[in-house]
Amino acid sequence: MKVLFIEDEPVLLDEMETYFNSLNFICEQAPTFRQAAQKLRDHSYDIVVLDITLPDGNGIDLIHDIRKNHLETGILILSAKDSLQDKLQGLNLGADDYLTKPFFLEELNARVNAIYRRKTLKGVEEICFDDFSMDPLSKSLFFKGETVNLTRKEYDMLVYFVVNRNRVVSKPSIVEHLWGDHFDQNDNFDTVYVHMKNLRKKLSAPSGKDYIKTVYGMGYKFIV
Amino acid sequence: MRLLSKISYYHFWLSAFVLGITGFMLFLFLRKEISKEIEEQLELQLDMVYEEIRAGRNIDFPLVQISSGDERLMKQPKIFKDTLIYDRVQKVLEGYYYFEESKIINGKPHRVRVMTTYIGWDHYSKTILYIFLTIALSLVLLGTLVNYLISRSIWRPFLINLKRMQGYSVSSKDVLQLSRTDVKEFQEMNQVLTDLAERGRKEYNALKEFTENAAHEIQTPLTILKTRLESISQLEIDRELGRLLNDAKQAVSRLSKVNKGLLLLAKLENDSFPDKQWIDLAEVLKRNYDLMEDLFQHKSMHVDLHTEAKKVFASAFLMETLISNLLSNIISHSDPGVAVSISLSDQKLELSNKGKPLAFPESKLFSRFTKGIDGYNGNGLGLSIVRQIAISNSWQVSYSYKNHAHVFTVTFDSNNQV
Repeated sequence: MKVLFIEDEPVLLDEMETYFNSLNFICEQAPTFRQAAQKLRDHSYDIVVLDITLPDGNGIDLIHDIRKNHLETGILILSAKDSLQDKLQGLNLGADDYLTKPFFLEELNARVNAIYRRKTLKGVEEICFDDFSMDPLSKSLFFKGETVNLTRKEYDMLVYFVVNRNRVVSKPSIVEHLWGDHFDQNDNFDTVYVHMKNLRKKLSAPSGKDYIKTVYGMGYKFIV
Repeated sequence: MRLLSKISYYHFWLSAFVLGITGFMLFLFLRKEISKEIEEQLELQLDMVYEEIRAGRNIDFPLVQISSGDERLMKQPKIFKDTLIYDRVQKVLEGYYYFEESKIINGKPHRVRVMTTYIGWDHYSKTILYIFLTIALSLVLLGTLVNYLISRSIWRPFLINLKRMQGYSVSSKDVLQLSRTDVKEFQEMNQVLTDLAERGRKEYNALKEFTENAAHEIQTPLTILKTRLESISQLEIDRELGRLLNDAKQAVSRLSKVNKGLLLLAKLENDSFPDKQWIDLAEVLKRNYDLMEDLFQHKSMHVDLHTEAKKVFASAFLMETLISNLLSNIISHSDPGVAVSISLSDQKLELSNKGKPLAFPESKLFSRFTKGIDGYNGNGLGLSIVRQIAISNSWQVSYSYKNHAHVFTVTFDSNNQV
């Protein structure tokens, strides 16, 4: 998968590139509007992660060009302003998703993967690990063809884990992913724990393998 | 009292006073003038009577009395007086003037009295009074009316501008447009008001821009902090370092939520939500409840959810926020195992959960950053966002404590219905 990160903040660029490289993505960077426009003219990308506040222009203006040349490219807008107007305008122009800063890299990865599956793979590709396979359309899990019953939350959690495999995923990041960015939600960690425990049981029952490792005080790590 | 009524009121009393005084003066002057004329007339008449006596002609006229006598007559004074005489024809007593004088004519003392009618002075005075009362009344009434009408046309631009000022908000995008007027004072006031509004608008926009920029400037470093802390979490770390790291992560998370909440509140006050549409509130409620159902279950809360169809014309984003804030408020502040009831009808949305009474005044419930509950670690913005969303839709949100239960009620505006 080829991703272009358009973002003017060097530390963020570094973080995103490091993480996505570790997931075997081909990453390119564009810290300015001019460079981004140049890269988008010369190459095609599967996904463009676009910060709309750039030092030399408004990222929103790039959406039109991307859409004109590459219909298949997935566009994810990053914004610090959390402005509904920007969001509606961006989505109307053809962006696929919108993420407000500050965000978790794991969430960004999950969204990028979702767009990739939906647009590039047309949603047909299954997510596989070991003998498990997940069907994103029916949101169901199979072990060697046998259905493993998961609740909706357990399925969402599993996708989040699988996409961010071999990485410590913190509880707040899971809470945000499962229930959205609501206020006053710090005591949902117990519920995260319950879902994780059930999921762990449902995965180890057919495979005999414990996939989810608890990293004390930090969160969970899905090991494949 | 309104300005126009006040002006008319004063005008009425001023007119009444002036007309009353002038009417009385007219009465006095007229009476004086007429008395003088009558006196002159009687003097002439008397002189003519002397003439006749001097000529030796006999005078026999009802209104002339002549008596002759000795020297004593001459001692009597000259008299000019009014008297009453019975009018046989009219059958009333009428006022008359008489003039009496003694004079020696042809060597003999005479005393002559001549009389003339008071020319119906009674009637005159009444007539004058009536006419004046009519003048006074019509002057006062018509004058007041005319004054009222003129004043209204003069004050009209002022009243129009007053309305415009009432409806004007510094957060609006338009410049304040005031109705033009040819009254100098109003022109000056309009100038002052326009300047004031423009200055307010500019300062408001500067503040808004500052808030947005500040939020932007805060969000990016927060993202860096958040991602860097997550990256550190990937390294091999011992428990102590893990604990320190976790505290830092929690603080960052709290900071970013407070920042987002404050931004949302600022935008709500600014009413910048362009995504208004007809929304099925029951659907929003059910969807959010489904999303949080496991959270309710985890706290063993028994939820009684009852919804009726309810469509509202509002921002989709705000409705999501309103419902999810109210639901997560219950989850955060209820003891495990309590009964929760949520009902949506055409008139209102009501959420109640059993629990102990509030540990702080009710009035603080919807204000920002209220803390007073043990173990409460929210950011204190959720309910004030709820209230602000209700205000922006002209709805009422209220709290009450009934039958050991906290009840939150959102009452919808009757205009906002299908």
